[in-house]
Amino acid sequence: MTNNSPMNKSRRSFLQILPLGVLAGVFASIGGAAFRFLRPRIGVASDRWLDVASLTELTGPHPVSRKIVAEHIAGWAVTTEEHSVFVLPAKNNQVLSAVCPHEGCEVAWEQNANRFSCPCHESYFAADGARISGPAARGLDAMPARVQDGKLQVQYVSKESA
Amino acid sequence: MTPEARAWLQTTTGIVLVLLLVQFLTGVLLAFYYVPSVDHAYTTVSYIEKVVSSGSWIRSLHHYGSQWLTVFAFLHVIQLFLFQTYAYARVHWIAAVLLLGLIMAAGGTGYSLPWDARAFFSTRVAEGLMSGLPFVGRNSRFWLLGGSNISTLTLSRFFALHVLLIPACIVAVVVWRFSGFRAYWSNMWRHAIAGGLVFVALAVWSLKNPAPLGPAVAEMTAEYLPRPGLQFLWLYQTLKYIPGGLGSLAGLVLPGVVLLVLLLLPWLKRQRMFGTAVLGAIVVWVGFMTSAAYLSDRRHEQTWRQLSRQAAQEELLRREPFKPTAIRLAAAPVAGQDVGEPPVMYTKFCVNCHGQRGEGAQQGPLRFPPLLDVSAKPRRTVDDIVGLLKDPAAYGLEPPMRSFSDKLTEPQMREIGEWIVKLKK
Repeated sequence: MTNNSPMNKSRRSFLQILPLGVLAGVFASIGGAAFRFLRPRIGVASDRWLDVASLTELTGPHPVSRKIVAEHIAGWAVTTEEHSVFVLPAKNNQVLSAVCPHEGCEVAWEQNANRFSCPCHESYFAADGARISGPAARGLDAMPARVQDGKLQVQYVSKESA
Repeated sequence: MTPEARAWLQTTTGIVLVLLLVQFLTGVLLAFYYVPSVDHAYTTVSYIEKVVSSGSWIRSLHHYGSQWLTVFAFLHVIQLFLFQTYAYARVHWIAAVLLLGLIMAAGGTGYSLPWDARAFFSTRVAEGLMSGLPFVGRNSRFWLLGGSNISTLTLSRFFALHVLLIPACIVAVVVWRFSGFRAYWSNMWRHAIAGGLVFVALAVWSLKNPAPLGPAVAEMTAEYLPRPGLQFLWLYQTLKYIPGGLGSLAGLVLPGVVLLVLLLLPWLKRQRMFGTAVLGAIVVWVGFMTSAAYLSDRRHEQTWRQLSRQAAQEELLRREPFKPTAIRLAAAPVAGQDVGEPPVMYTKFCVNCHGQRGEGAQQGPLRFPPLLDVSAKPRRTVDDIVGLLKDPAAYGLEPPMRSFSDKLTEPQMREIGEWIVKLKK
């Protein structure tokens, strides 16, 4: 058989592809595992009711700022985080999340201007949470709330699952 | 030797490259979850082992891959020596010796990272070897540990060396070795087959054998017997025979000198004799010590029983469900750390600025300080707080903190102070 026979040629090109095949095999087997390895776990939304305040504290015409402490399971850690909320005694104790619906900064209540303002991109909201102006597309989000044993409680729902 | 056999022997290059690739890929993946700090390292590693899909396999590939890599990097050096590469291809020879040293260093630093009992002792041994070095011992120990004791800083240092510095050096050596390299297609397929076979073997081995993870350092008992990985058994056994201070000579200086001699081999006279002597001695030494390490454990009944107990305990730990770590990002006190209701006078006068439970508050542009953990600060005992409420200026506080002498009686101040010192983050 001469060196240029078709048989020899195809053998040679197979041997040339072989290293690429082995590399592809290593990448594919580790890559397949990598996809499962890196895929985030879907967290179960917490349906716990968190105390905000007792009803007796919630009076007056202005929004009342409160903090709630929520637990999040994040992979290997259970984090306890604080979140700001505003209670509207004038609106049947509706609870608004302080998270701006624009990019997620925390809004603050401006007593003098009688409005909420977002420190990041100048969105403004009325005392009932309705959007006044700025880049936010909607008003502040209301949170699921209930009254239990004279205490106002809310469920914390994260932005993605909302 | 037939040219065919010669060509197959040369495939250690391909095997080392494939194993290096595996180490890089799996190492990058592990870094997505691992946290190099003494309070989270063990948790994150056991999270990878127990919870993350394919986590156990990825970590096992990385763990056993490092041992196989050391073995094949050494075989590669021997193969190059037998083919007298040092005489005609210095770059190949020097690169191979440097790689061996770097791979050992990567293995040594990597052993500390899971921060289990085994990792803790390996860090201790590294500390001991460093501190025993002549002249520079004290300083090199200090620099390695990042202080005078093994701490979370030590773990950060080992991590930075293991994932940044040493891999960068390895990449540099490999690039240097292959720069100006023209593909010898005629032999590439052999490298590919050998590398591929070793990878398949490693993948199957790792599937069947999860990487060891001992008890956490905090839960380690006094009977715990640490044993290093396969590639360091020779060192472990050698250190048994060497009296105290000389350990560093055998563990660091001697291997260093050996590597140096091998590196300089291309320029030495009587290379063949020198190389044969040095490599032969290493093979005999490492082989003898590794088997001695295994045999001495096997023969000593009490030791063997303890090692079996540890293996059983590790198996139990592996089956235990994963326990997440609690991380507090909130300043407000949570259940279980209740300090009781604030005094009435606190609610009346202090709440507006310091918050309902001392968490601090923001009023317009003014930010008022939280009182949590205030008792840990200097000059903040109950007596100090009473004094401070009477005369804030004397404690260096500025308006709008005002004196409350006209609003509160001394017992009321004391009641407030006693409540405040209990506030914790």
